[in-house]
Amino acid sequence: MVERAPHGTRAQLIMAGATQTLTLPRFAATRPATEESRAVQWLLIAIVLLFFAAFLLLPLAMVFVEAFRKGMRVYFETLRDPDTVAAIWLTLKTAAIAVPLNTTFGLAAAWAIARFQFPGKRLLTNLIDLPLWISPVIGGLIYVLLFGSQGWFGDWLIGHDIKIIFAQPGIVLATIFVTFPFVARGLIPLMQSQGQLEEEAALTLGASGWQVFRRVTLPKIKWGLIYGVILCNARAMGEFGAVSVVSGHVRGRTNTMPLHIEILYNDYAISAAFAVASVLSLLALMTLALKTITEWRAQRQFRRALH
Amino acid sequence: MRRHILPGFGITLGFALFYLSLLVLLPLSALCAKSFGGSLEHFWNAVTDERVVASYKLSFGASFVAALINGMFGLLTAWVLSRYRFPGRRIIDALVDLPFALPTAVAGIALTALYAPNGLIGEFLGKFGVQAAFTPLGVLIALVFIGFPFVVRTLQPVIASLSADVEEAAACLGSTRWQTFRRVIFPAVLPALLTGIMLAFGRAVGEYGSIVFISGNLPFKTEITPLLIVAKLEQYDYHGAAAIGFVMVLASLAILLLVNALQWWSARRTGHAHS
Amino acid sequence: MSIEIRNLSKTFGRFPALKETSLVVHTGELVALLGPSGSGKTTLLRIIAGLEFADTGDVFFEKENVTHKSAYQRRAGFVFQQYALFEHMTVAKNIAFGLEVRPRKSRPSKNEIAARVAGLLRLVQLENFAQRFPAQLSGGQRQRVAFARALAIEPRVLLLDEPFGALDSKVRKELRRWLRQFHDKTQLTTLFVTHDQDEAFEVADRVVILNEGAIQQIGAPSAIQSEPANAFVEDFLGLPQCAGF
Repeated sequence: MVERAPHGTRAQLIMAGATQTLTLPRFAATRPATEESRAVQWLLIAIVLLFFAAFLLLPLAMVFVEAFRKGMRVYFETLRDPDTVAAIWLTLKTAAIAVPLNTTFGLAAAWAIARFQFPGKRLLTNLIDLPLWISPVIGGLIYVLLFGSQGWFGDWLIGHDIKIIFAQPGIVLATIFVTFPFVARGLIPLMQSQGQLEEEAALTLGASGWQVFRRVTLPKIKWGLIYGVILCNARAMGEFGAVSVVSGHVRGRTNTMPLHIEILYNDYAISAAFAVASVLSLLALMTLALKTITEWRAQRQFRRALH
Repeated sequence: MRRHILPGFGITLGFALFYLSLLVLLPLSALCAKSFGGSLEHFWNAVTDERVVASYKLSFGASFVAALINGMFGLLTAWVLSRYRFPGRRIIDALVDLPFALPTAVAGIALTALYAPNGLIGEFLGKFGVQAAFTPLGVLIALVFIGFPFVVRTLQPVIASLSADVEEAAACLGSTRWQTFRRVIFPAVLPALLTGIMLAFGRAVGEYGSIVFISGNLPFKTEITPLLIVAKLEQYDYHGAAAIGFVMVLASLAILLLVNALQWWSARRTGHAHS
Repeated sequence: MSIEIRNLSKTFGRFPALKETSLVVHTGELVALLGPSGSGKTTLLRIIAGLEFADTGDVFFEKENVTHKSAYQRRAGFVFQQYALFEHMTVAKNIAFGLEVRPRKSRPSKNEIAARVAGLLRLVQLENFAQRFPAQLSGGQRQRVAFARALAIEPRVLLLDEPFGALDSKVRKELRRWLRQFHDKTQLTTLFVTHDQDEAFEVADRVVILNEGAIQQIGAPSAIQSEPANAFVEDFLGLPQCAGF
């Protein structure tokens, strides 16, 4: 999930909706002089709808059709299967570790970057972006090279009987890597646009640093933060490539939901694979709904900042 | 060092740098070290192996074509969503982000089911003798899917910020609607369009999850570069995997730089337009 | 409480904002910092408040050297040109903020805070607006909330940055008069920044004229007008809007 947000005129990676979130009302009333003819309009709309159907709506519908093809019983049996349940738990656990860590990082990085001037700021901003540009497979590979048996710390880890690769810690690390920038990249443009007058006012009123953050900054960035967390979470639960490299694919132990889908699919348990996929699709739809709502709220915060 | 007014600079920057170094920079330097860890010759052989070169061609070629397709449909979609009113517009608008939100593995099996020879669209295409799944065309379809939101989301705010009076002025000067689009609107949105295309391209080059199901993974035919990295790892060829990974990271950095340059150009453009 | 600054210098990049500036504001005085934009007056005020740190020089509140104290330790009431109200808090919450963030042992009780807020609302004539949000107020009302908020912490000195800059001329005139009356009542040492000569000469006990980071003249309004110290002051005062004086 790589999306972009504008900061002033410099567009930035991440936060799909942010571009749209963080801008002016989208549409000024159409005027005849600046409008296409009705026929052209409907033709263009039809092309877009057709494209949407073939590339977005049908695949989504397909997930649910295939999931229920063999009936409700098979569907719910799949979801009750111990291996599926274990995959769901591992997915939740992974997100529960990765998301708070990246959120903390995002807040710290956004505070430092949006509130202070220091040399190397541009470089730092780009480095934070980096994981979005790198193939998720490489996001897994680099931890194998660090912690795998052939890796830098391989011998030491074996000596101390610590297992990171092909175990749950590796999955968490790879997930952190691919979701690394989400919160930070959402917050930085928001905080930069808001400026720091209110924080300065709070300081002159005697508030300490933590109080300034808790009582003034946090409420101002609340919706932008929630937005970033939602995106971060969706990606954390859905990541496939990076965790696939580090997981080792042990059923019931190191399988997350997306990996479990792959295993079921390769076993020709097509309906079961789609049943698990349908759960993740519901999560995706919820994410989109929440995203639309928070976007709307964040937009108001952002507009207020532009006053 | 200058004293800062707001507190927390040291601790937040310190934590951010520590976290970044630990989780991104250190692992990436392991990649660099490992890729040159064998001999230079081994590195060179690994990255120029025939099968690997074939995968570059597919990965970069298909990503490029997919990005162009997304450029076209993305521009059209952004235009329609920003300018026209029609039932279901808001839902369509929200669904643009589906490829971001849908896990790639889910997208992969869903697209495969749809475009496989016995799938809904696959069967239809089969009547014309076209096979989509398990061919490079399948790879292309997956890449169009995952890259779609980039162009739309980059263009929407730019289209929204176009001022109507320029279009009105063009109309008053006797320009047809198509001329206005070609000569007034298109040049104004071009930098953003190129940026969106590059973003889609950058994402597509590294994509893995949505492709491995639909591509069939035939060596020399439908094998993408990220898949080769996985294959090398499974054969415990860590140097080879690292070497190919290193090339991919270099490509990513090049794309990142290019996007930065594009955005700089775009910012300058819009800056002038508003002044 | 008097304010004294000694030899303050400050540069932003290569641009010198203040050059070796010294000034004393006596207890109970109302002093205006007047100058064209870019003259360094806002920088000077922000350094006194602790919102900016000087490269060299010292700031004293009475005998206490506060040069290295941060803004939240100085207890200087600061009113921002753009108000800087907390948009997510009600008017009452805005005013109470400075009291609520105090450490537990010096924090007044809830009732005391409420009473203090009510008193301040009365002072700025906004009794009926306690539960409104800043976005629901007019510019003049917001400015008065900003005043009340700064006063709530019982500041040792009051610093005003173009306090009426964003308001229309009628409201400006009213608030100007109100500020003078308020100051006469409280005798709180006050330093305010303005680029408007009428405002400076009408309200202040003494006026400090700044240009390019250096003080050009300090004196009572009448003294400055009758005897401009140099060509800059003469030229600056010769601007048409001064004609009424």
